[in-house]
Amino acid sequence: MKKQNKNALFLTLISLFVVSMMLFAGCAGEAEDEVDEVGEEVSEEASVLRVALTTNPNTIEPATGDTRTASNVAWSIFNSLVWLSDDGVLEPSLAEDWSVSEDGTVYTFNLRQGVTFHNGYPFTAEDVVFTWERGLGSDITYREDFVSVVDMNVIDEYTVEVILDEPNSMLLLQMNEHWGILSAQYHDEVGEDGYLQEPVGTGPFKFVEWRTGDRIVLDAYEDYWEEGYPRVDRVIYRPIAESSTRYAALVNDDIDIVSGLGPEQSEEVQNAEGVQLVSYPHDRVFYITFNNMSTGIGTPIEEKLVRQAMSYAVDYDTIIDRIFDGHAERTAGFVVQGNLGYDPGIEPYPYDPEKALELLAEAGYPDGFEIELAGPSDTYINFEQVLQALVGYWGEVGIEVDLQLMESGRFWELQAARELPPLFGDSWSSSTGEAFPRLVGSVGGEDASYAAWLDPVLVEMVREIQLTPDQDERAEVYTNILRYMHEDPPFVYLYQPTAFEGINDRVQNYNPRVSEQYYLKGVSIE
Amino acid sequence: MALLLGVLFMVFILLHITGDPVSLMVSRHASPAEIEALREELGFNRPLMVQFADFLTDAVQGDFGRSFRYRQPAMGLVLERIPATIELASAALLMAILMGVTIGILGGSNPNTILDSLARGLGLLGQTIPTFWLGLILIIIFSLHLGWFPTYGRNTFVLFGMHLPDKSIILPAFALSLFTTGQLARFTRSAVLEVMNEEYVTTARSKGLGKMRIYSRYILKNSAIPLISIIGVQFSYLLSGSIYIETIFSWPGLGNLLAEAVSTRDFFLVQATAFFTSLVVIGLHLVTDLIYMLVDPRIRYR
Repeated sequence: MKKQNKNALFLTLISLFVVSMMLFAGCAGEAEDEVDEVGEEVSEEASVLRVALTTNPNTIEPATGDTRTASNVAWSIFNSLVWLSDDGVLEPSLAEDWSVSEDGTVYTFNLRQGVTFHNGYPFTAEDVVFTWERGLGSDITYREDFVSVVDMNVIDEYTVEVILDEPNSMLLLQMNEHWGILSAQYHDEVGEDGYLQEPVGTGPFKFVEWRTGDRIVLDAYEDYWEEGYPRVDRVIYRPIAESSTRYAALVNDDIDIVSGLGPEQSEEVQNAEGVQLVSYPHDRVFYITFNNMSTGIGTPIEEKLVRQAMSYAVDYDTIIDRIFDGHAERTAGFVVQGNLGYDPGIEPYPYDPEKALELLAEAGYPDGFEIELAGPSDTYINFEQVLQALVGYWGEVGIEVDLQLMESGRFWELQAARELPPLFGDSWSSSTGEAFPRLVGSVGGEDASYAAWLDPVLVEMVREIQLTPDQDERAEVYTNILRYMHEDPPFVYLYQPTAFEGINDRVQNYNPRVSEQYYLKGVSIE
Repeated sequence: MALLLGVLFMVFILLHITGDPVSLMVSRHASPAEIEALREELGFNRPLMVQFADFLTDAVQGDFGRSFRYRQPAMGLVLERIPATIELASAALLMAILMGVTIGILGGSNPNTILDSLARGLGLLGQTIPTFWLGLILIIIFSLHLGWFPTYGRNTFVLFGMHLPDKSIILPAFALSLFTTGQLARFTRSAVLEVMNEEYVTTARSKGLGKMRIYSRYILKNSAIPLISIIGVQFSYLLSGSIYIETIFSWPGLGNLLAEAVSTRDFFLVQATAFFTSLVVIGLHLVTDLIYMLVDPRIRYR
């Protein structure tokens, strides 16, 4: 009898605790509705767009933001002189129009008048010059997108001349990518650190608050120069590192846009109510490179036939089916669908182990050979499994591969130091709509830190792209490169993964690009 | 002090033997010369001991260096994250004490009954359940199906000018508390068991004292010492921030910051976090020792 009493007492204690937890939850919940999270009044009809970020941006300024996540936030705040439309066409932004001199070394921009920064300062030619000068700083992440410009002349308040020492067909794309125009006067007042912490641009949204790891809040800029934009009153970015949590937040209506979902989550989003799946192939090519610049010298991979054989020996479709549930696309080279000069007539290598054996025999390796392969671990989705599958396929044609998986920081350090083994796997993305960044970085010659393959013919062809301002002519060069790199492959081209994003049904006009970039100015909420 | 120095040295060495962050800082198109120039500018080409001495000299003056990635003073970033972690750790500790001690007393005072087995089982479960998995399960049940709590993040409301977390703290705090709950339950149980058989308890019983009085005055008080030390240790563990829980629930605390800083090799940020965490651990051990004295007058330090 007594014992029962005691137990009852403790049970009461426990239930009291549970009840108090509920009450606490209840009270707190009510309080949340009354007070705005930022502490600033937002009227009830205000439309708020909540966007999940997969990583925490390091800065929200285009030239220093080190990930796509960072630059996506940055481009809500900033404008460049030009802008790449959804169809991949360069359009005027802060420049109303521009002209290029005959020899391709002088660009004259006519700037838009009456544009103001978020703090009210007017936008003039001085700001463009300042943005360039600052971009040359040694600690600017995308410095290389500024260095082709050797000088700038201010003709008048709204006209600026950009001088190059040799033609650079990528200049406008580089501007679109990393030249977010800064206010010279504001930078003068607050300094570099102050600018990065409270950035001011001319873009559709103005900076309100940034609590690192928690949220970034932007409000519509009421004096934005583009008529009719932006279409929501407030954007709140919230970093959510874990993809399962992003999925749950989307389905639970705690967030409106999420990116970086896995294949399993994408299926669940498809079946869930009130949300939609958005999917597209990334402009990111996964590959195994042959390293003829350091450790691969003197190994069989220098032989073209061997490299072809290794390309034939892999059953790519099975890899895509088994490891990615079919959610990836094959690619024939570094110029992919959606890139300038892409040619669908050049097809990926088929799986043909017989042919691989023949080629190996012809190259003088009928019994295969031994070689090392490295790859980064925990960096790309399922990449370790892909590498293991490759080891298996190459083993079947007699090539014995020793696989070394490394922590990613270490891997990239060795890559930059050219100390990786004769074979290594990685991926390369491009965000400009052209394959140039991927090509110049991987086969552009000695100066490219992460290049592992040196072929003077290719170096020359890549350089030709840079010197060819005419788009159609450039397309032809790209096609030639694609064909050349297919016939004499510096890489085993694996796949382009499919990107999965999820949006709430209320979200309208959200158009992420194959480069995983998006602009929010046109996005609205129903 | 020596301990603190030792920790900082270990962290410093471990960080540096894995390489430097320069290759992660530049874009992939940078030339080898540019990379070397940046390495030189940041001083990573100097001998390790010189770098460590430099770091210490600055740290003594309160300057913990700048985070490369964020381009801000590292300590500022750490300080910004501290409130979120303190909230989470306190809430988790509170839950753990309430649940753990209750379960422990229930088990310990009814040895070898079903209740006891249950208490031991719960204690073990709390310590062994993988927090990552648990976090997801909690989100699925309480956020997705029941809709009681938000799925992620720290939402706040303002009370007397302070930003306090709302119900968004409950799931992560609960998930974080389970390990401590398990440990407290097991310790309480064995402490209670031990004290129960002491003669003074038998005496108290035979005097005809009420159950409540016996528990509060005799049993709990005498099992308190080991419990306090466990609570002290556990609180410092909770305060160092849980990487898994904070990542799963996207809670903007120290664990979250540290995970990111390590993967991006943001050296000064890792060092600043390690400094703060070691300070907390050392401080809490000191406080725990002081509390012993209050609880048990027999303990004296000279």
